[in-house]
Amino acid sequence: MSEISGAAPRPLVGLSEAPAARGLPAAPVGRGLQRAPLDRFFLPLAVGPTFLVMVAVFGLPLLFSLWLALTGWSPQQGLFGGEFVGLANFEDLLSDRVFMASLGVTFGFTAAAVLAQMLLGLGIAMLLNLDLPGMRGFRTALVLPMMVTPIVGALCWKLLLDPNHGVVNHWLGTRIVWLGVPETALVAVWLVNVWHSTPYVALILLAGLRSLPHEPHEAAEIDGASRWQVFRHVTLPLLQPFLLVALLLRTIFEFRAFDNVYAMTGGGPANATMLLSMFTYLTSFVRFDFGLGAAAAWLMLLMSMAMCLVFIAVLRRGGPR
Amino acid sequence: MAIVTGSRRTRRLRTALAYLALAALVAFFLFPLLWILGLSLKTRAQTFADTPVWLWWPTFEHYADVLFRKDFLKAFLNTLIVSFSAVLLSLCVGVPAAYAFARFPFRGGNALFFSLLVMRMLPPVAVLVPMYVILSDIGLTTTHLSVVLAYTTFSLPLVVWVMRGFFDDLPVEVEECAWIDGATRRQAFQRVVLPLAKPGMVASAILCLQLAWNDFLFAAVLTNNDTQTLPVLMAGFTGGDSGVDWGPMTASGVLVILPVIVFSFMAQKHLVAGLSSGAVKG
Repeated sequence: MSEISGAAPRPLVGLSEAPAARGLPAAPVGRGLQRAPLDRFFLPLAVGPTFLVMVAVFGLPLLFSLWLALTGWSPQQGLFGGEFVGLANFEDLLSDRVFMASLGVTFGFTAAAVLAQMLLGLGIAMLLNLDLPGMRGFRTALVLPMMVTPIVGALCWKLLLDPNHGVVNHWLGTRIVWLGVPETALVAVWLVNVWHSTPYVALILLAGLRSLPHEPHEAAEIDGASRWQVFRHVTLPLLQPFLLVALLLRTIFEFRAFDNVYAMTGGGPANATMLLSMFTYLTSFVRFDFGLGAAAAWLMLLMSMAMCLVFIAVLRRGGPR
Repeated sequence: MAIVTGSRRTRRLRTALAYLALAALVAFFLFPLLWILGLSLKTRAQTFADTPVWLWWPTFEHYADVLFRKDFLKAFLNTLIVSFSAVLLSLCVGVPAAYAFARFPFRGGNALFFSLLVMRMLPPVAVLVPMYVILSDIGLTTTHLSVVLAYTTFSLPLVVWVMRGFFDDLPVEVEECAWIDGATRRQAFQRVVLPLAKPGMVASAILCLQLAWNDFLFAAVLTNNDTQTLPVLMAGFTGGDSGVDWGPMTASGVLVILPVIVFSFMAQKHLVAGLSSGAVKG
């Protein structure tokens, strides 16, 4: 059974009222004075550490990052030693041609990668959902790429696309430097992302397909609907919540794509594959301009946060019912 | 969906087409991996032959070479240390929280729960920039601890989300019985719920292990030559184009992905829940 979870919290069943209602002693509530602190403060003790870790590794760094973005901080200075410069970093960023181009590349890349993954993933899920012998084997083979360490996956493709000894050039009888030309480099990075991440979409949609009720399909077939009509008017609408989850998740994750680009092109040639993650990385850890890097990081954060809120809204609306 | 409509001939044709499509897909998705495996078993001359060699007697010289290289073994050990510590930390911190979220809704709980999801979804590079500055200020960069802390930003949310789904599915009656018998919340959790939740804990541990094992970005910034992990070592290989010897590079690549593929298949049943952060269960 598959379902979208994380909707409204389940009502509090049987915690304190149920035993009492049945005329039984309400064990967890009654003996407050004798209980050890571990029991009396069970809830805060259970949630507290998670909260603390979140604040430490996530909340504080993000706040600090906002401060960094507003200063001209350099590595020689103390944590708060940077000079306050207001929004100058953001202004620099918005007038930086590489950054503006990188925004365009990131949006285009994300859209193209997600679109290809959704279409191919839906096709794979439909195929794997057929009731034919050998499907387990096909399923295993098709999900393998997403388990591969992204850096190693990118390396595989880099060797396949190698201009001199790569098997792709050998088959095509060409000597194209795939990763050295802006257009082909972007296509190559896109291809590798599709290769690596389509299985995610396929698995989510396959879980969705398996959870669909049979009756609507049978009813439609009895009514004489063609296969295409059944797919278009029965399967797709029923699958919609799963399609939405896959679409949002892939958009959020492609938007932050980094490993493949780093290993294959490093953002080049001529910034053709300069995704926002790559730009932020290079600005901070190669050029050591942490103020500008933090500003770029915050812009990325705001954009991802917006996508996340949409995702959470979808989850809270309850998913497929 | 069974293939039921149409005459017997069209049905056969459809089956054949489906298999053909699947075969083409498998070729696309599997070929790069098989090719790398092949390269790792070829001698240098075979690798750089003018026409690709398809049939050859495999050589294990590159594996022997890599397995005795100090940097590879060290990176392997580092990867083990940081991924297992991150998983252990996330489990210890996250499992009780997941239980509390599932059973005892409290004020602000939902906000906290969803902010965990946001934590998992935000671009790692955006968290990494300030984290690096702070960690280097307190002198923690290039230590295992810094990488472990960085990994909790994705493994903790994963544990909490997957385990909450797991606890939600566990019938509440189990604890009710324990409570009626006079057990406190902690005792019920420790002695009754946790043993039942073991499969879920194993699954979420494997899912986190997979993410930590595969991470490149955090490790690239937060480690040095002594503490670098396998993906960072691998990225070093890709730097120098065709000049690099492909044999050891591909052999290390195979050795890096082998464990993670094994883990992943062990948690196959839970893979979907893990990769959709619990939004869809498989």
